[in-house]
Parts: sequence; structure tokens; C-alpha cells
Amino acid sequence: MRLNTVEFLLRQSWEGIVRNGLISLAAITNIAVALMVLGAIVLTGANLEHMAALEAKAAVITVDLEDGADPADVQAELLADLRVDPKQTRFVSKDEALRQTAQRLGLHLPQSEPEVAADLLAELLGRNPLPNSFRVKTGDPQDIPAVAAQAEKIPGVAEVRYGQQVTEKLLTLAEGTKIAGLLVGLIMTGATLLIIGTTIRLTIYARRREIRIMQLVGATNWFIGIPFVIEGVWQGLGGALVAVAVLLPGYTYVQAYIDQNLEFLSLLYSPSILILFALVILGCGILFGALGSAISLRRYLQTV
Amino acid sequence: MIHLQQVSVVYPNGTRALSDIDLHIDRGEFAFITGASGSGKSTLLKLLYRDIVPTEGKVIVDGQDVAKLPPGRVPYLRRKVGVVFQDFRLLPDKTVWENVGFALDVLGASRREKHHKVPLALELVGLSPKAEAYPGQLSAGEQQRVCIARSLVNMPPVLLADEPTGNLDPGMSWEIVQLLDDIGERDTTVIMATHDQDMVDRMGKRVVQLVQGVVVRDVKEGGKYDAP
Ligand SMILES: Nc1ncnc2c1ncn2[C@@H]1O[C@H](COP(=O)(O)OP(=O)(O)OP(=O)(O)O)[C@@H](O)[C@H]1O
Ligand SMILES: [Mg+2]
Repeated sequence: MRLNTVEFLLRQSWEGIVRNGLISLAAITNIAVALMVLGAIVLTGANLEHMAALEAKAAVITVDLEDGADPADVQAELLADLRVDPKQTRFVSKDEALRQTAQRLGLHLPQSEPEVAADLLAELLGRNPLPNSFRVKTGDPQDIPAVAAQAEKIPGVAEVRYGQQVTEKLLTLAEGTKIAGLLVGLIMTGATLLIIGTTIRLTIYARRREIRIMQLVGATNWFIGIPFVIEGVWQGLGGALVAVAVLLPGYTYVQAYIDQNLEFLSLLYSPSILILFALVILGCGILFGALGSAISLRRYLQTV
Repeated sequence: MIHLQQVSVVYPNGTRALSDIDLHIDRGEFAFITGASGSGKSTLLKLLYRDIVPTEGKVIVDGQDVAKLPPGRVPYLRRKVGVVFQDFRLLPDKTVWENVGFALDVLGASRREKHHKVPLALELVGLSPKAEAYPGQLSAGEQQRVCIARSLVNMPPVLLADEPTGNLDPGMSWEIVQLLDDIGERDTTVIMATHDQDMVDRMGKRVVQLVQGVVVRDVKEGGKYDAP
């Protein structure tokens, strides 16, 4: 396309925005709100999934041994299962388990002396009630149930436990957020398209004389339509920029707050993810803008 | 170049504007369409730039049946047909220069082409000094000339003029018609609807006379406004 043509089309689209400035502003605000809601839902869903993944990654199978079982035999059997990650599989002796428990209980003793605490605990209870055990990790968290079931069959194993409930709950929640997000997203998208379509229709109406003349001197519908589509894109882009300008600092703030105050939680946060997120929002804005105006244009140009 | 075969036009409100018209105009020909107000002159021209399609019959422009033209091809037909509108159809918020350039812009012309052709067209209609004026600042005759400049700026093979001299003084009218005639000499087909009796008589060209949507007279050469 020639430079003169590009300039002509851009100027036409810009004049449209300026002409109905207030309505354009309203459209941009609406798009911004819609994209903010969408963005917030996307961020929530992504974080729930992220947390579920973290949980799953940390998930351990605890394999308790019967008293008198030989840890070496059990270990050999455990590692025979190729899904088990040998580097992350650890033996925890009765004594170590007791020490850990004592430490966890605190017992108000200096942390540097867990043995003292353990002895104290053993004395209190009269014996060490804890079994020898293995902490087993799998290469893929998905394999945990299967590996656990397999481990139960090994001779000398008393009990197998693993904490999967939290992961499952998080995944369910993430799934729910995705579905809700999709629904809200569809409604928001519809509303946004409607708003942009309406603004563009106003511009079309204001320019109907000009459009008519363009048609009479032989402009194609494509050519007549481009400035309106660009106008829609400007609006979509404007709304998206506002949404990004609100969401990114807002999210950064929430992330920092949670990081400082809720140690067990950690939100997704990396420049690449935020940039990707911003780009997706901007992309949605542009797409909505183009689509909204294209729809109303099609209707108008067909009737003329 | 232009063929009408048994063409009738009935507007949606039931007005019968043209009845059973047969008309053939060759390439490079210059023809006047005359007739009283409401006789169907503008309607006839509208058929030729496919602003309307015939209710009955066939309209063929440059080998194409306008009624059968797919919507996507209509713009390309209109590029071949320059129109001087009875009501000018200028854009009030664009200058004279921009109004004429507009017709080139929408065809995707380059800046160079525009800067070459627009001054030429304005020069032809004698409006170079008013290039930067807005239509609202011009007399009706001047606006008419802007419209003429716009219609011929991309040198279409067919030029339709709907009373292009309606708002001009006799001197200017004569000049404009001479101009259209000159353009006609260059292989351009010119069709001009007019009430201007003197003009038609002086030019002695082909005259097609309409009465209530019917061709009552078609004199190939040396035509006069009124039947002798
Ligand atoms: N859009 C329309 N809808 C209905 N009737 C129309 C329309 N345009 C024109 N007419 C009618 O068709 C007839 C022919 O009109 P047309 O404009 O072709 O006449 P004309 O010869 O150009 O007249 P004038 O010299 O006043 O311009 C008239 O009776 C007019 O009222
Ligand atoms: Mg008329």
C-alpha cells in the first residue's frame, strides 16, 4: 500500500475518534473494565494452577516399615519401580523421625539440641513409637497414587500415606475458575463487541455523506471500511492499555503483600509472565476493537 | 460504450421514472439529455453509474451488464464513470484541493500522482486560486466546478454531467461545456443532462429528449433543444 493511502486511512480513523470523543472515551472505559475483569480471572486461575503444581511437586509418599523389616530390602523393592526418583528417596530412621517430631513439637528446647528433645520425648512416652520409614518422591507427581499402591504390596511395609487432598482441591478450584472465567469472558466479550459496534455505528452515521461520496467515486467497501476498523482498534488498544496499567501494578502489589504476610502462599511472578499477560490483554483489546467495528460495518455497507 | 435495451425504472414508491428506453451511445460520443424537470434525466444517469438498477431491461456500460455486476465489482465500474452531480456532493470539511484529491485517495493513488493531477484538474475548471477554500466559502457555480474537477481528475472513459451549468453564468457555462467537449474529443464519452436551450442549440451535438420517462426524440447530429 502506498504511503499516501496509509496516511489517508489513519487520518480518517483518527478523525472518527476525535469527532465522537466522549463516546469514544466511554467505549474505551468499558473495554478497560471488561479486560480488567477478564485479566483478573485469568491471573487467579493461573495462580491456582501454579499452587496446585507446587503442592504436587512437593508431595511425598511416606512408606512406614514394620518393626523388624530390613530397610535395605524395602529400599531395593521401592527403587525397582522406575517411576520412583532414587535421588529424592530418603530413609528416615525411627530415631530421626522422633527427633523431627520432637523438633516440630518444639518442647521449648533450643533448636540446636534436637537429640535432647528426642530423648526427653522417648522418656516421656516410655519408648519410641515411630516406625522406620522412607520418604519417596516420584519423577511425575501424577504417578503418586500408583506408586503408593505398588509400595503397599512390598513385604515389610506397614502403611503408605501421601497427602494429595490439597493438590486435588486446588486443581478443582483452578478448573472451576477456568469455567467461570470462560463464561464471564464470553459475556464480557459480547458486551465489548456491542459497545465498540455502537460507537462505530455512530461514526458511520456521522460520516454517511462521506461514505456515500466514497462509494460514488469508486472506493471499495474494503477501503471505506478500514478507517472504521482502525478506529475500533484504537479504542480496543486504549482500553487494553488502561487495563494493563491498572492490573500490572495492582497484581505486583498483591503479590508483594502475600509474599510478606502469607508465607505458605506464593504467587506467580516473573517479568516474562507479566509481559506475556500484558501482550495477551493488548491482543484481546485489538481483536475486540477490530471485530466490533467490522461487524457493524458489514451490516451498514450491506444495506447501502 | 453504453447500451440501454427496453429499460424501465419504477421507484420503490411506485413512481414510474423511465419507460421502455432504447439508447446506444458510442465511445467518444457527446450527447445531451434534455427534457422538462421530472422527465427522468437524472434517473437515466443514475442507471449508468449503477446508483440504481433497472426494474426491467438491460443497461450495459463498457460491456458490463450493470444489474448483474456483483457488489464487489461496482466500485470498479464507478471508477470508469465520472459523475458531475446535480447537487455537487462536496465534503464541507475538506478544502477544494482535498475534495478533488479525495477521489484519488480512495483509489489508492500515490502522493506524487495526486500532486500532479489535482492542480491540473483545478486549472482546467479555473479554480486554482480557490484551492484552499472550503465549499461553504464558494458560490454555487464554483462548487459546481469543484465537482467537475473531481469527476475528471482520474480521466474516466465515461463522464456523466447532471446539469453542470445550472448555476453558471452564460460565459462560464460555455467554457465548461467547451471543456467537456474537449474532454470528449479524447475518446471520452460525455453525457450531459441539461435545461440550457442556448447551449444545446449552439453546440449542435446529439440530443436525446425525454418526456415523462420516454425518449421522444433522438437526433444524432446538429440537434436542437426543441423539435424543429
Ligand atoms: N428516489 C426516488 N424515489 C421516488 N421517485 C423518484 C426518486 N427520484 C426521482 N423520482 C421521481 O422520478 C421522476 C424522474 O426524476 P428525475 O430526477 O430523473 O428527473 P429529472 O429529469 O432529473 O428532473 P430535474 O430536471 O428536475 O433534475 C420524477 O417524477 C421524480 O419525482
Ligand atoms: Mg435531475
